[in-house]
Formats: sequence, C-alpha cells, structure tokens
Amino acid sequence: MPLEATEYRGCTEFQNWSRSRLLRRIRRRSSSSVALTSVPQVSLTDSETNRDVLLVVLLRGGMDGLTTVVPYGDPNLYSPTLRPDLAVPPPGDPDGAIDLDGFFGLAPAMAPLLPAYASGQLAVVHATGSPDPTRSHFDAFSYLEYGIPLQPLDVYSGWLARHLQIVPPTGNGLLRAAAISGQVPKTLADAPATLPIADPSSFAFPGSPVTSSLRQAVIEAAHEFTIEPLASAAKGTIDTIAILQGIDFLNYAPSGGATYPGSAFGEAVKSVAAMVKADIGLEAATVELGSWDTHNQQGVQAGDMANLMADLSTTLAALHIDMQDRMDRFAVVVMSEFGRRADQNGSQGTDHGHGNCMLVMGGHIAGGQVIADWNSGELLHPDLLYQGDSLQVTIDYRDIIAEIVQNRLDNADLATVFPNYTPTFRGITN
Amino acid sequence: MFKSSGVLGPQDRVWADQVTALTRRRFLKAVMGGAAAGPFAGLAHRAFGKLSGFDLPDEVDVNDLDPLLQRLVNRTTFGFTPALYEEVEELGFDEFVETQLHAQGIDDALSDAMISGYDTLTMTSDEIYTVYEEDDGVPIRQLVEATILRSVFSKRQLQERMVEFWSDHFNIDILDGLVPFLKTADDRDVIRTHALSTFPQLLNASAHSAAMLFYLDNYANSVGHAQENYARELMELHTLGVDGPYTQQDVEEVSRCLTGWTIANRDNPLGFGSFVFYPPYHDTGSKTVLGQFIPAGGGESDGQTVLDILAYHPSTAAFIAGKLCKRFCAYDPPQQLIDDVRDTYLATGGDIKSMLRVILTPNVLHSMATPKFKRPFHLMASLLRASNASIQNPRLLLEMLFIMGHAPFFWPRPDGYPDDLSAWATSLLPRWQFVSYLFDGVFPGVSVDVDSLIESRGLGQGYEVSAIDQVLGQPFTTVEVDLLNDFVAELPAQYAAKFQDALGVATTMPGFQWY
Repeated sequence: MPLEATEYRGCTEFQNWSRSRLLRRIRRRSSSSVALTSVPQVSLTDSETNRDVLLVVLLRGGMDGLTTVVPYGDPNLYSPTLRPDLAVPPPGDPDGAIDLDGFFGLAPAMAPLLPAYASGQLAVVHATGSPDPTRSHFDAFSYLEYGIPLQPLDVYSGWLARHLQIVPPTGNGLLRAAAISGQVPKTLADAPATLPIADPSSFAFPGSPVTSSLRQAVIEAAHEFTIEPLASAAKGTIDTIAILQGIDFLNYAPSGGATYPGSAFGEAVKSVAAMVKADIGLEAATVELGSWDTHNQQGVQAGDMANLMADLSTTLAALHIDMQDRMDRFAVVVMSEFGRRADQNGSQGTDHGHGNCMLVMGGHIAGGQVIADWNSGELLHPDLLYQGDSLQVTIDYRDIIAEIVQNRLDNADLATVFPNYTPTFRGITN
Repeated sequence: MFKSSGVLGPQDRVWADQVTALTRRRFLKAVMGGAAAGPFAGLAHRAFGKLSGFDLPDEVDVNDLDPLLQRLVNRTTFGFTPALYEEVEELGFDEFVETQLHAQGIDDALSDAMISGYDTLTMTSDEIYTVYEEDDGVPIRQLVEATILRSVFSKRQLQERMVEFWSDHFNIDILDGLVPFLKTADDRDVIRTHALSTFPQLLNASAHSAAMLFYLDNYANSVGHAQENYARELMELHTLGVDGPYTQQDVEEVSRCLTGWTIANRDNPLGFGSFVFYPPYHDTGSKTVLGQFIPAGGGESDGQTVLDILAYHPSTAAFIAGKLCKRFCAYDPPQQLIDDVRDTYLATGGDIKSMLRVILTPNVLHSMATPKFKRPFHLMASLLRASNASIQNPRLLLEMLFIMGHAPFFWPRPDGYPDDLSAWATSLLPRWQFVSYLFDGVFPGVSVDVDSLIESRGLGQGYEVSAIDQVLGQPFTTVEVDLLNDFVAELPAQYAAKFQDALGVATTMPGFQWY
C-alpha cells in the first residue's frame, strides 16, 4: 500500500537496523556529552588556509543605488524630468552628498561609512548588478543568488553554496555557513553544513538538563533515517548547539569601541562578528535587510529610506571598526536584487529598475575608490538609460564576486560558482 | 490630518508612517519581551477563563487507522484528533470532503467561544482605528491569536487550511503602515468570506480591500502619479504568475487602469478603510492590457475590466491550479493533475470547491500525494490538537511562532510564506524548543495533561512507549519506536518527567514533522 508512512521516512533497510547497535550509539553519544559541549576551537594559525570569511548582506526590495551612492557628477541626475524631488544634491549644497571621488558621493544618511572608505577598506561598485532584465523581486533574487542571470531558472543551489561545495572546510566543517535569518537564503541553498540561525544567542537545546544529552542523541539517531535536507539539518543543529554554547553573545564586547545599532540588522551583524572572532570554523554568513521597496514616499533625506540607510551604514561602520583585528581575512559584499528606476514616480518614490551599486569591504579589498564605467560621466543621459528608464548594468556583479572567490576565497573553479559565464576581473581585490 | 478629499492619496504615506512609526518596534518589543529578561519573562498573564479542549471520544486504536482516511485527515485539516478521525470514519471519504467544503453548515460553537473575547474581530476598520489608534498592537494580537485558536479548535478545518492558503497567496504584512487597523477586515471580509467561493470573487474582494490597497500602495496610484507596485504583483503573484504572458508595458497599463482605486479617510462618511473610487485621481485615457483595448472614459470600470481579464485568463487558472496542487497533493504534483484542476477552473469560472474536489479524491491522495513537511504554524496546531492541549492564553504561542519564523500575517514580502521543503526543513531548533516548552509546561496559559492524555487514549497507567503512535495519532516507524523505548530505558529510574520527555522526543522525531 503506497500510503505507508515509512515509505517516505527512509529506506526500508533501516527498518532492520540493529537495535542494539542503535542503543550503543545512543549511549556513546550521550556519555560523550562533555566532549560535545566543548568543541575545540580552530585556531587561525593552525589552519592551512588563507581564505577570507565572507559576509554577504542582501538588501531586499530593490535598494535605490542612485540615492545611496549619488553620481552627482552626472548632470542628467539633476534634469527636471528625472527625479526632481529625490536626487540628493551635490556636495556643498544643503543636504548634499558627501564627496567620495569628485564624481560620486554618499547620501547624508550613509555618512558613517566615510571612515571605512577613507581607510581604503571599503569600495563602491556602481552601475553594477545582475544583467537579467526581470523586474520581479523574486525572480531577480533567484537569478542573483543562484548566480545564473539570463539562464533558465533550473539551478537550485546558491553561488556561495557551490563555492563551499568545492573547497574543503577551513575548520572542523561542522558549521561552515550561517544565515542570520529564519530561513537559508538562496545564496546558500544546498550549501554544506549550513543552518539558518535567526538568533545565535538563543541557540540552546531546550528541556531538562538531566536528559539533555540523551535526548539529543536519540533525536540525532532518529534523523539518520530521514530524507535530506532534514537529516543533515538535524545533525548540524545538534553540532551547532554545542558550538554556539561556547560563545557569550549577550556579553560580546566589540573591539575598538565599536557600537552597533540596536536594530535587528545591527544585532545580526554583531553576532556574525562574534562568531568569526570565536574561531569556530565559520566560512561564510548571510544577513538580510529588507524594506527597500520604496515605491511611495521614499524618504531620501528623512523617512523610510533614510532610516534604512542609517541602519545599514552605522552597522557596517561598527563592523569595520570591530573587525580591524581580523580584517586581513574578512570580506563583506552588500547587494540588492536590482536598482530602481532613474525617474521618480508620482508618489515621491521609485519603481523597479535595473542597475545598482554594490558595497565591498575587507582588508584585501581595493577600497577608497568607486569602480564604475559611467560612459564619460553621462550614463544617466536619456539615450543611455536601460530600457529608457533605468541605470544600465555596465559591470556584471559576477565579475566582482568571482574575483573575490578566486583571490580571497582561494577557489579558481569559477565555472562551477558561476556557470556559463566568463568573468572580467575589475581590480576589487588587492 | 486628512485631506479634505476624503480619501488617502500619495502624500498620506508620510502621515501613515508617523501614525504607526513605532508599531513595529513597540509591537515586537511587547510580544518578544525583554531579551535580557529570559525567554518568557515580563509577559502579563491574561486570564481567559479555562476553556476545555476536545470532547474525547471512545478509544480510537491508531494501529487500526485506515491509511487513506488518515491521509485525508492530514491533508484537509491541521492535524489528527481522535474525535475527528472517528467523524471521518463515520462519514466516509467523499461525505467528509463535502461536509468540509460547505464549511458554513458546520456548527463551530467551541471555536467561536474561544475567540468571543476578541472585540476587534467584528469591528470595521474605522471602529478599530477609533478605539485602538494608540494601541495598534491589540488588533494585531487579537487577529493572530484568533487564527491560532481557530486552527486548533475549529471544526471547519478545511476552511482554515484554505484561509491559510489564501493568506499566503494574497499576503499582506500586518505591520506595514496602516495595515494594523485594516488587516482584520481583510481577513474577515476577503479571505474568510471567499476562501471556498470562487477565485474571481476572491480576487475582486482583495482588489477592493483597504489592507491590500495600502500594502501594495495602490491608494497612492493616481493620474500623473502612476506607480506600479500593485499592478505588478497583481499579475505576477495574484493571477498570471511570473511566467505569465505580460510585459512591462502591461504593468504600466494596468497601473493606469487602477488609478483612483483608493481608501476612504476618516473625513469620509463611508468610514475609514472603505473602498473608494476617486475620479480626480483616475487616468481617463484609453489603455491596452494584454492586447485588449480599453476605451477612454471607463472610469472605475477600467479596473474592473482588468480584474475580469486576469481572473478568467488561462494562465491564472494554471497558476492557481498549480499552487493548490502543491499545497494539497505534493511539492511536485503530477502535471496531469494540475491540468485537470486548471480545466475545472476554466469550466466552473474558478470555483474553489470544484477545484478542491478534483484534488481531494481517494485516487489522488492514494497514488499521487507525497509527504509534505509541516510548516511551523502547522506543527504547532497539529501538536496542540494531538496532545489535547488546553489553551487559556495563546499569547506565548504567538511568541513561539515568531521564534519559529511563521507568525501569521508577518511575512513582509508580497509572495507569502514559502511552501517549500528547503525553506523550512533546515530550521529545526525552534521547532524542538516549541515541542519541549509545551510538554515541560513552560507556556503559562497552555497546558498538556499528560496523564489524562494517556488515559483518554485507552492506555491507562501501564502504558508502553511503543503505543506512542496511539497517543499522537501519527504512525511512527519501527526505528523511531525502538529509539523511544531505548530512550525511556536509559532514563534514570527516579526521573519524574519520563512521559513528558518521551512525548517531546517523539514529536521531535521525523515521523511527526510530515503530513
């Protein structure tokens, strides 16, 4: 009868699994609870690797890159037909941009990032993004995160997941990547030893301490007979409980006097810093910041988007200070699914567009510059707008990430990370 | 505060954000408590008065459950109870489905009693705004808690599953702007009213819903101020699907058709939150949508024409059919079944009952259905049902849904909570925490009486762990039962919470995670 529950829960061979063997395993697991809770740290000096830990920040909703990093040197930005109410004025004007390089400037709410930029560890890439034309949030993120723009949506592993599949673990391999969110984003879909950890500080096994290790052993054993990804997730969860138990997140003291904002995003990024510094073998993490879909009353100087930019910039600025002692092997990539239209809409907002900017930070990132191909400074000229209304993608985001993957993550198999694409390195690493 | 026009317009977002600027922080703080004070500290216990759970029927021997009827129960409800199974056995497959499809005919006194203390459920948006302007957490909490209680106690279980389905499909973030005051009416007058009627009616109601008009910004969509947020999601997520036959041009034309569809403000005699077509906002020119010419001067009917084009489009039929099959049959349902449901949609004008009848057959559930992983809300409801939990205050259940990442109406993006294995099967610890907290009695206001649970299922005090499936009504594999027996054997002899722990471990095992 095809309705047998067992059919779906594992191979029938396991139905005959020796009970005494199971019992032995449980006893062993449960009696080794001391070892379980003290997972040895992976010291960087002992490690053979020189790979960066990579943090990917996903800005969901379509961040307006013409606001965050303002191309104030392009005269078309201030055309009365483009975004008369939204364009950030040039430096020197009231509420003007903060100059970066004589052509681009930061929105006032992004000002906290200026020290990181000046230190040479923060770079901006502009007129970049995924070349896929879709303006659907969900498709755009699928192409971006699976790493397959302009290709059929039939690859269901993330680009970062494929990288982790290729390279050996830098540490014990028990928790290679963490998504600081309720679910694993597509960037990490199908990644080995990867879990969603919405709140690392409360990742503790519940219930009576008397039976805790025994219950963990039974639960782990029961999940050996189920299907993926459930089976691996159960084992990974139990391993991770032990790993994170050794980190005091609530009393974590950032270095250098760094202060993270108390926002959910700030807390999430801070917890990544704590995990990296605890040397648990973490190789990658993702953090998400949503609500960038500013169709209505965008609030460039004050309001929705200004608040988001403040959250983003103060968090990244704190991370930059906090991670100085680790910056040699740490990198951050910040990106969104698409930019917004160059022209504002009727409700003081912007609709879905195309090209955008990315932020890249790290000790070996060629910072202090804006990497862009702005077509003699007039990429916002009406004749040059993508589909007549949006910033072009002149630098494929895969160029930037591929260079980081090869030079900072020590993985030259770029054809697996980004199939059917030959990246052009843009000098984002040094 | 409001413009004298009596309707919300593009500029009102600023006001709306000011009104509810603190909602998100205030609400989350209230619900989640102070992080430093421990997981459940500082939450006031609000007495509801003790309400009983289910009427316990005579002994039901789980080992003798008909697997097909068990599958039917799992697919059409939020989980097994002995009473429900007995009812299914009595009615038979087809009659049970028919009964559930005609939900209004089912007496639901127990569930109604459970939620009778929630005053906002029957209020208009205007009344909610008037009473709770300064405390918008109240309508949010009441709606979510009522949703939990209904999923556990309502006898209209298929209706509840469909409410969940459509709440995902027409997702609205309850924390967005004015939505805290508007979602209650959307849940009642759109989702619940039409959950089992026809898709065109449901779509039409949603398009007129203030919560949707606000969430996707159509209230701010006016001539010369066109913006395409709702128009795009209307086609991509609500009707044609992302692979549907529409272009960027169609998105812009649909948004023009829907200019002027907005929301009454508080100066309006219709009452805040009513749908209003406001002619000064409307783009009176001609439009072309999906190749169909819409002449100039159509006014409000432009939007209606768009909804009709979309509601009866074959791509919409296929899109809805695919999602229904995925929800009720399998993650990867057979194409033939999807085609059959699509054809039924087209033949019946999108009749939801008729489509469900195609899926909820013995043949489909027997031969085509494959197991689906319970999403956290489903896990919670099914465990509360299986354990005959007594709920006096569901407040902490809401908190637990936050921790599990699945609080109803809190998904921020318009695509709704995912219905995929990969989205949920890697986040296990919050599920384990919930199960453990429940049996350990950590939630004030929610309790499981383990002893009477055992007794009620005919096991008496001399129970065997091997009979755990008899308690929970869900078959466990022999490996799982062996492991449970080993677990109990390994426990210290004097350990008091033996069966609490055994139930906690059992419901953490894979066997309880699928439906």
